[in-house]
Amino acid sequence: MNNIYIYNNNFISLLNLINYLIKNGIKPFNIKDSFYNQTLLDNIINLEIEENTHITNLFNNNILKTIYYVYLSEEDNKELILYYFILNYFKYNETVIYRKNLKCVCEVLRISNYVSRENHKYKGFVRFKELENNILYAEIEPVNNILSILSNHFKKRLKNELWIIHDKKRNILSIYDKKNFYITSDDNFKLLNTNISENETNIENMWKTFYKTIGITMRKNDKCRMNFMPKRYWKYIIEMSDEI
Amino acid sequence: MELKEKLKILADSAKYDASCSSSGSTRKNSNGIGNASFRGICHSFASDGRCISLLKILLTNCCIFDCKYCLNRKSNNIKRAIFTPEEICEITINFYKRNYIEGLFLSSGIIKSPDYTMELIIKTITLLRKKYHFNGYIHAKAIPGCNENLLKRLGLLVDRLSANVELPTNNGLKLLAPNKSSDKVSKIMKYVNDNKGYHFTPAGQSTQMIIGATNETDLDIMDKSESLYNNYKLKRVFYSAYIPVNKDKMLPSLSIPPLTREHRLYQADWLLRFYNFKVEDILDKNNPNFNLLIDPKASWALNHLNEFPKEINKCSYNDLLKIPGIGVTSAKRIISSRKIFALGFDDLKKMGVVLKRARYFITCNGKYFIDRSYFKKNFIETNLVLEDKELKDIGRKQLSLFE
Repeated sequence: MNNIYIYNNNFISLLNLINYLIKNGIKPFNIKDSFYNQTLLDNIINLEIEENTHITNLFNNNILKTIYYVYLSEEDNKELILYYFILNYFKYNETVIYRKNLKCVCEVLRISNYVSRENHKYKGFVRFKELENNILYAEIEPVNNILSILSNHFKKRLKNELWIIHDKKRNILSIYDKKNFYITSDDNFKLLNTNISENETNIENMWKTFYKTIGITMRKNDKCRMNFMPKRYWKYIIEMSDEI
Repeated sequence: MELKEKLKILADSAKYDASCSSSGSTRKNSNGIGNASFRGICHSFASDGRCISLLKILLTNCCIFDCKYCLNRKSNNIKRAIFTPEEICEITINFYKRNYIEGLFLSSGIIKSPDYTMELIIKTITLLRKKYHFNGYIHAKAIPGCNENLLKRLGLLVDRLSANVELPTNNGLKLLAPNKSSDKVSKIMKYVNDNKGYHFTPAGQSTQMIIGATNETDLDIMDKSESLYNNYKLKRVFYSAYIPVNKDKMLPSLSIPPLTREHRLYQADWLLRFYNFKVEDILDKNNPNFNLLIDPKASWALNHLNEFPKEINKCSYNDLLKIPGIGVTSAKRIISSRKIFALGFDDLKKMGVVLKRARYFITCNGKYFIDRSYFKKNFIETNLVLEDKELKDIGRKQLSLFE
């Protein structure tokens, strides 16, 4: 039987589970969240482990950030990759990230870079619309679950604004109230009024005019643009919506 | 005039300035709107593939000067407009709030006098910083010939303050921009460099040169760049392939801007800034221009083949940087990993080092990637050129301009 260990769908729970497995010398066949669909050969194991938040102290900031980014990815076996990475981290400490002959290290770095890059792209590509009630509202469909790290960026930048970022793919929202942001499912929070503010169309048109003007016709280069701004982002980038 | 119409005119007049970067500043949001991102953020990409990071506009496109290459020269019969400070602030804040832009790039044609124009720019940016509490990135252009006191006031407000060299030699400048002397531009650069600090232009300065409007060689251009980097610690020199916006008997009539040449200059510029190359390594009086078929680093390596192949597990950081296809990131990865184990070709691949070009110039644990007898100039050169052609076909005609 394949032993599948289940964690509680949050980062702290995953770290506690991995730590427990390593400390007790248990080699899991895989580690999955509670939405996992069991197959015939699986032996599902739910361990009662205390969710201790101090677990993060085991890692230095850099490593913790790397691990967290992997956790946010949609990679199939991310939990198992993290298990092996953390196993090696306990053995080699910080130098683990230089051991690129270990497959788990290469994978962890590849995935966390991928998440970090997507987050960075979205820092630029998010487009807010101003609603009648002065709330700034944006929709995104990222590959990875970057809403929390993306919100951190806008928390600093748009400190004195009310804003909502809606991940349409995962049906979750990040709501900012000028102090903190809260992430919740969109079943719990429905926007009653999504009418845009009076000035909104006017501003959008100004931006589209600027966008069209700033390109130099003699240097037109669609392929180069596509490399930096692939089509999958265009849906919510208002200046591109005319070109789809 | 409608605001949208103004924006169109004044963005159109500003678009030939290549600078778009928004990096290098750590300005925080002090209870207002906006902050700077040290890495810089691209918010969109224009139809020419260049990154759009800042709202790039002129305060006005009216100008008392008549520089031959410039769209906004006095003698051109084009629509003219001028923004009020409030209009610029409103557009900036509204765009910024919606996350269209990373900040403002403000330049201007010269009205009345350099000092008067500078006062207007300062007034606008003061309003934006103090009344609108904007803490995002601002790149302002200093007007050559203005009073030093004005430079000081503007420098304290912006993240980057710069002036454009436009042409690499004094002769070129005399010919095409008779009102603009290089002394005035270097005076600004010297002032900014002497005063740069946490509060004064934290992201430093940059400049731009137009390529192909006059008959300067690549050597002239790179010499100028090198001296600018050494004397004024510039963050960037931008190269802008000349685009004929005016007809003039003193200007060349090109149908396509010299984009490949521009690309080679950028590559060489990278070599100066990050790869410890000097201009004399890559160009000399007998070969004053870059080979358009091969990039400057590979070209250098082919001419110094006796220093190759380099052993990945032994050679110094500086030597790693000299290998075509290996950049700063790869070199650092190699250094940190080879302390732990000896690297083979497969390990390099796993680490994300691109071997396509590098493999011709390296050995791993004494092994060459194919039989050592192939290590000959002709063989390598042919392969590099052929492989580069492939790249060109998929449209790598341009270089992205972000840092």
